[in-house]
Amino acid sequence: MGGKFGYALRETLQNLRRNLVLTGASMLTVAVSLSLVGAAFLLGYGVDNVTQRWQGGIEFEIFLNENITPEQQARIQRELDASPDVARSQFVSQAEQYELFKVLFAEQEEYIESVTADVLPPSFRVEPSIADADVISALGDRFKGEPGVKDVVFAEETVRTLLRVSGITQSVIFAVAAVLLFAAALLIFNTIRTAIFARRREIEVMKLVGATNWFIRVPFMLEGLLQGLAGASVAFAIVYLVRNAAQDAIRNVPLFDGFVVVTSQVVTTGALTLVLGAAIGAVGAGVAVTKFLDV
Amino acid sequence: MIKLDNVSKFYKSDVVALRGASVDIRKGEFVFLVGPSGSGKSTFIRLLNKEEVPDEGRIWVAGKDIAQLSPWKVPFLRRNIGCIFQDFKLLPTRTVYENVAFALEVIGRPRHVIQSQVPAILELVGLGKKFKNLPHELSGGEQQRVSIARAFVNRPLILLADEPTGNLDPTTSVGIMRLLDRINRTGTTVVMATHDRSIVDTMRRRVVELDRGTIVRDQTRGVYA
Repeated sequence: MGGKFGYALRETLQNLRRNLVLTGASMLTVAVSLSLVGAAFLLGYGVDNVTQRWQGGIEFEIFLNENITPEQQARIQRELDASPDVARSQFVSQAEQYELFKVLFAEQEEYIESVTADVLPPSFRVEPSIADADVISALGDRFKGEPGVKDVVFAEETVRTLLRVSGITQSVIFAVAAVLLFAAALLIFNTIRTAIFARRREIEVMKLVGATNWFIRVPFMLEGLLQGLAGASVAFAIVYLVRNAAQDAIRNVPLFDGFVVVTSQVVTTGALTLVLGAAIGAVGAGVAVTKFLDV
Repeated sequence: MIKLDNVSKFYKSDVVALRGASVDIRKGEFVFLVGPSGSGKSTFIRLLNKEEVPDEGRIWVAGKDIAQLSPWKVPFLRRNIGCIFQDFKLLPTRTVYENVAFALEVIGRPRHVIQSQVPAILELVGLGKKFKNLPHELSGGEQQRVSIARAFVNRPLILLADEPTGNLDPTTSVGIMRLLDRINRTGTTVVMATHDRSIVDTMRRRVVELDRGTIVRDQTRGVYA
């Protein structure tokens, strides 16, 4: 410890200061691109949460009475299995409903506290094998009168649209972010190249007196890594603030009232952002060092 | 200590820098490489610390065949070889002390070693009082002393000197040569490329003369020509 590590750190900080403008530019690019990545992820999470019931072609959900008898439940199950119009059905227990409820109302603890699993209805989620809306609604309605069935709820057209649009939006954001991330890597590459050029005399001496290649490399790679991490931290802050603002804004809009991104999902996104930023920085710097140092 | 066996080096395939050179230098020897500009003296020196790789022949340094040396081991070879140059290669923004300490820092020597060895070596080269100065505040001779201190602070087995007096006046050169002689007497093998006739004639050490890449003379206790 001491000498070696101290040297690397000192050199890194000195370089960052020397190339303030370039460093700032690459940091900002990392920040913008990673904000987009983060936003895309949060959008994905939000849509996931609000449309959880309706993913994978689920068209309607048969809610059962809380006190349904096993015989009644088995009868409905048999009927679903036997129907040629049903491609797939899935039973959702009270415990699973409660897990879903906890996600949807994660930010409203008083709801979660006042609800327990046994007041929530279990259900069957049904994926029909046909696309005809009339047939689907006829199929769903058949179950409405069955003993033990509380209600049948159909996916709304808006939910389907939301799923489709969000998918496209996410792809577009990811594409833009990928381009920006590439630009960020190039900018970091250029910053490091400048730093290497500014220090070529020192590097020459270091090689002559027998410094190892890694000893010469590490400060530059550390510099790239720090730039990436700093950009990523800014991105994380932006994403966090935007998420809070957006959530407040849409809280009372119908359809979006289940559109929440819980804190654990924000943290996951943040961690991903930091890892991506660090990786971009280290890779950009690593390429620059290998290319221009010829160590 | 150093052995070249039929070594050749070509630049751009037709420019000959060194052709069929075979030399055997024992531990503790002091060898002058003489010859006109472009005769291959610098190439000879650069081959020894693997800044250049020979196109033909084999080179042993400190008992190792350096052609077989994997790239990651080259730094460790160089820790056994001190280098000084005509243009000193000092870092202009660092003080005398820092320039010398730098050579120890970058090979990972602990701080207490640096703190004891740097002042000692600066004392040895006669710069004990100028350790806080920047290189541009020193005369040429003093700058060369700093670079010698940097090359020797790690007590290398071999000291390579490429025209170390090329930028210095005769009186200053004599001082530098005294210092190199002193270092040689500690057992360090010194190989020095030069075309300073009076130095070679005064010192009367082994002389290897190169002409257009070929060794034309190898004489113990020789003179310039």
